[in-house]
Amino acid sequence: MKAKALTAVFVALMLVTLGYTGFAQTTDPNTFVYVSFGDPDTLDPTYAYDTASGELIHQLYDNLVAYGKGGVDTLVPMLSTEVPSVANGLLSKDGKTVKFPIRKGVKFHNGAVLTPEDVEYSFERAMLADPSGGPCWMFFEPLFGVQTLKDLACKIGGLQSIDDMQKLDKNLIVKIYEAIDKSVEVEGDYVVFHLATPYPPFMQILAKGASWGSIVNKKWMIENGAWDGKPDTWLKWYDPPKESMTLYEKAMGTGPFKLVTWDHSAAQVVFERFDDYWQGPAKLKTAFIKYISEFNTRKLMLQTGEADAIQVPAMYLDQVRALPGVVVLDHLPSITNTALLFNYTIPIKGNEDIVGSGQLDGKGIPPNFFNDIHVRKAFCYSFDYDAYIEKVALGQGSKPHGPIPAILPFCDTSLEWYSLDLKKAEEEFKTAFGGELWNKGFKLTILYNTGNDNRKTAAEILEAGIEAVNPKFKIDVQGVQWSTYLDKLRASALPVFFLGWHMDFPDAHNFIFPYMHSVGAFSGYCGEDMAELCRREFDDLIAKGIATTDDAIRAEVYKTLQKKAYDLALSMYYVDAQDIRVHRDWVKGYVYSPAYSAYYDFYEVWKEAK
Amino acid sequence: MLSYIGRRLLFLPLVLFGVTLFIFIAMSFLSPYQLVSSYIKSPDELKNQSLDDLVKKYRLDDPAHIKYFRWLGNILHGNLGYSRSANMHVMDAIKARFPATLELTIFAIIPVVLGGIWLGSISAIHHNSPVDHATRVFAIIGWSLPSFVFGIVLLMYFYGVLGWFPPGRLSTWADMIVLSEGFIRYTGMNTLDAILNREWAVFWDAIRHLIAPTISLSYLWWAFILRITRSSMLDVLNKDYVRTARAKGLPENIVIKRHVRRNAMIPVATVAGFMVLGMLGGLTITETVFDYKGLGLLTATAAQQLDYTCVLGTTMFYGVILVVSNLVVDILYALIDPRVRLD
Repeated sequence: MKAKALTAVFVALMLVTLGYTGFAQTTDPNTFVYVSFGDPDTLDPTYAYDTASGELIHQLYDNLVAYGKGGVDTLVPMLSTEVPSVANGLLSKDGKTVKFPIRKGVKFHNGAVLTPEDVEYSFERAMLADPSGGPCWMFFEPLFGVQTLKDLACKIGGLQSIDDMQKLDKNLIVKIYEAIDKSVEVEGDYVVFHLATPYPPFMQILAKGASWGSIVNKKWMIENGAWDGKPDTWLKWYDPPKESMTLYEKAMGTGPFKLVTWDHSAAQVVFERFDDYWQGPAKLKTAFIKYISEFNTRKLMLQTGEADAIQVPAMYLDQVRALPGVVVLDHLPSITNTALLFNYTIPIKGNEDIVGSGQLDGKGIPPNFFNDIHVRKAFCYSFDYDAYIEKVALGQGSKPHGPIPAILPFCDTSLEWYSLDLKKAEEEFKTAFGGELWNKGFKLTILYNTGNDNRKTAAEILEAGIEAVNPKFKIDVQGVQWSTYLDKLRASALPVFFLGWHMDFPDAHNFIFPYMHSVGAFSGYCGEDMAELCRREFDDLIAKGIATTDDAIRAEVYKTLQKKAYDLALSMYYVDAQDIRVHRDWVKGYVYSPAYSAYYDFYEVWKEAK
Repeated sequence: MLSYIGRRLLFLPLVLFGVTLFIFIAMSFLSPYQLVSSYIKSPDELKNQSLDDLVKKYRLDDPAHIKYFRWLGNILHGNLGYSRSANMHVMDAIKARFPATLELTIFAIIPVVLGGIWLGSISAIHHNSPVDHATRVFAIIGWSLPSFVFGIVLLMYFYGVLGWFPPGRLSTWADMIVLSEGFIRYTGMNTLDAILNREWAVFWDAIRHLIAPTISLSYLWWAFILRITRSSMLDVLNKDYVRTARAKGLPENIVIKRHVRRNAMIPVATVAGFMVLGMLGGLTITETVFDYKGLGLLTATAAQQLDYTCVLGTTMFYGVILVVSNLVVDILYALIDPRVRLD
């Protein structure tokens, strides 16, 4: 009897619940729900260097300047009332002094009024914290010509290297502060930056879309446990673990939205309109960003209208295209590219599972395999770029012209990159190693991180091309855990590997440096011989390209570098990625901005009542 | 009795020590650069990262025993560490995620057990008849069907087509009520908190989100309970006292209900207890498919990303639950069955 009663109660519950659904299913025109995947790292603009974090910071903070709607070519004022230029006298003729007139009457979310001191504090605090692997190098490079605070400390203290920053000399601590303090100064209503050399993309580094350029509230920061602004105390806040930083899960900006909560356990971030926003309140009242890794769940949420917009990988595009009432925007130019990089000095010892015998005997590859230009060229000729773009990127990409994405200024689009040409590949392979390679053959394993199917297929396309040239050439494609991949990468043990670069700021320098400079982010994984090549061929040119504001000189420099990357077949750039946006048709006001890491700028969009 | 409980509780730290030591030993086979993968989660985060700096900053290159003692020291100060994969302190992560799993377990165990017993009884009563076969086939299909497949089908139909049972734990509008200041989170279980706050709309919404995972879990586990019930009932059906009951002219349904099913329930109860324990440890696949943010999802993500602090934390937590609930079960046995003594 009891079981029956329980069943009855259960069925009754179900019925009541169902009756209730009618009310719950209507979408609220004031609330925007965007469902993404991949958790953000932090809300602190000084630490954040991933797109998921940048997306959140974007809604909460403002920058000094911003891009004109939808583009990267023009800048417009934001918290600075003017965009500095030589014409308006705010940018000095030598390009080394930049003045920003700070807007008056702008309010922070707590009602405090923005002052030039807040701006100064924002940048000084960032540089003195300089979290390792964070975005602050973008301030050090233009302002001091170094990459990190540690580098700067060495420079000021005349030291070769510093082992432990926490043991710095007291005087040096103050001296470092003084140098930082002098680089960003308040002069009346202005904030003035003093650059080490002219740095053409400096304004882009500060512009909206660059989360590290966010302006914070000095008083609130200090009250909440951030650096107190004193010359000799900053070391306490230097390179902190992210969770100990003041803005890790709190926010105090001037942006159009306030943070309600970053609910870690429910994996969602909730925003609420800031009614006193200086450009007028947003149309949306509330916004959610939720993180759900299952694509199917995201799709169903879009379908039922519970989500207004979702993240869709290219492979699932056809599934959402078929849904009624869904808008798909694709082929959006993203400032990102992906390359296959060659390791010029492959270690053999302990690496036999990848490089085989380690010799040119048909059972492996020698350490200097990719140091031979003909091998690199042959690889570049053996890859079917069009097939990759069509079948794997499903048309959401374009063929590159070199390391600089085509959408950026100074990319020479007249330069045609390598195409699939097995005849030429054969010629190159026959010349490599004085013809010995062709006769003996080789065996090589290409690793990819499991789950990254795009890269797996890219490797297989390359395998198909190369094995078609000569039956003695053998390539194995093998998936490994991401942790193992990382371990091998760090040991520079991978003969070839895939990596992509997403822009920090829309400038050719931001792509040339990681791919081509001897200390660029990627060259460390490419072996000493590659670094040597970079030092010999590129480093001086790269330095020349960034230290001038003369566009003609810059154009020439980047054209030369791009040509050299081609002539040397430095790495195999194989796709300039494109972006996709998928939302319901009631979402209005959306404009694609290639410079934003935020998929949706909640200030721009609104929902049409349905 | 008390000394027994005391002895069993003394055993607890030993269990935890063993388990965590085991994890640390397993971990010592990983290179520091493999451990960095919990700090850099994808190729896109490689920008400008010096892997060596990260290893140094988080002291990942220390030998395992030094890491272990450092970790142990923190534990003694009540600090379980910070989970990179969950982006929160391990303690907070468990506090936030466990109520979700507990809630799902409480809701799921009722239909799982009752449904399983019901199916098992039918099967046993109609022993070797077409009804028996049909029931068993039905249940075994549920057991064999990968739960991620069945879960997705459920979601597609009941959410995608009908719009009834959404994924997640709460709808957006309900979330806003729960996150508002007036709403007090007493337990972290949405249904219970909603009742305590008298937010009936939220209560129904929470229920609505629990139905699909419950159905999915029920169908998965029915076969299990069914088999235990069935065999145990068949066993009892052949007992002398059942024959006696029938011989004295009791109606068949009374014989089944009073004499057979009750006596057949003891092994079922034991199994159901273990099932609850298993569920409390997290229902990784169900939680993933239904985007139900519980303990299983937390542990699985952590393990995948080699986030060992979090794995250790959840393991210890599970260890505590296991030892304590085993103890409770032992005590209950002693209370129920006078033949069992705890000394």
